[in-house]
Amino acid sequence: MTALRFAAWLSVPARWYLGVVFVGACLHKIADPRSFALDIATYDILPLVLINLIAITLPWVELATGGMLFAGWRVRTASFLVAVMMAVFMLALLIALARGLDMSCGCFASQGAEEEDPISRLTVLRDLVWFGLALFVFVFDRGRLGLDRWLQRRSA
Amino acid sequence: MAVAQITQPSRRSMPDRLRVLLEAIAVTAVGVVIALLFNALRPAGLELIARTPYQILVPCPEPGGPVQIVQATESWILSARTFLVDARSPQEFDLRHLPGAVNLPYDWLEPVPEDDLLELAQSIAGSGAKRVAVYGDGGRPDSGEHLGKEISGRGIKNVFFVSGGAPAVLGSEKQ
Repeated sequence: MTALRFAAWLSVPARWYLGVVFVGACLHKIADPRSFALDIATYDILPLVLINLIAITLPWVELATGGMLFAGWRVRTASFLVAVMMAVFMLALLIALARGLDMSCGCFASQGAEEEDPISRLTVLRDLVWFGLALFVFVFDRGRLGLDRWLQRRSA
Repeated sequence: MAVAQITQPSRRSMPDRLRVLLEAIAVTAVGVVIALLFNALRPAGLELIARTPYQILVPCPEPGGPVQIVQATESWILSARTFLVDARSPQEFDLRHLPGAVNLPYDWLEPVPEDDLLELAQSIAGSGAKRVAVYGDGGRPDSGEHLGKEISGRGIKNVFFVSGGAPAVLGSEKQ
């Protein structure tokens, strides 16, 4: 098995993992957009007019990309979107850390939730790993065990 | 058929990166539309634009690091290996202080100036002392404890604050 083929196979669990992460991350935000809006406001980066709009829409984009990655449909597009979102999240985290804010990440649970996820360098590192995984999937995925390949075979 | 022959090559010729970008925009747009519809239909939908600022409750980062308590009667406080810091006002310091103590007034409202802390850290590092003992006004809260935390936060180890502050430590010195 060549290195490229190995990487293509490796990208399958990578995209499944990213898919689960993104779907898992969006559920509490969709269920409670008000809390997510507070999370965004706590970062103190976006103007007030954008906070609710982002809180309402971003989780659905996360859900769409997570679902696409898991199902293996338009994988390059989904991994590109994930990489862009991870880059934005990392930037927000770095700004919050530079300001010395002692706050929850809001990634998987809202501010004040019992299961807190305080921001730290580790949070940035975690996002960096996911960013790298998204790039890996973007470059090496060949549609194995995915909807794209199944649809392609069906139409052929 | 003729149309298919014309359109298929043109679709193939679209650069992959451009296709990915266009699809990403499309996915985002669909996600946004679904999100807005869902929000409009749900009973407790969020208003699109917040009218009042959010009440953000972010605790201020606790400045400083750990300090240990030491009783004023502890003999090593006055040893040559202890660097003494007096957190009281210059007037109080001038009236009376422990021999060898350095005055760095602690202000409850203002943070200790960066330069002063840096200078103190350099003095401590250059003194060869094994520990730092900070004493304040002995009140509750004690200025010495808070200054000790700030000094400790600069990476200086073995920082102690004297329980009871100046009244206790100067009293015990008299004895």
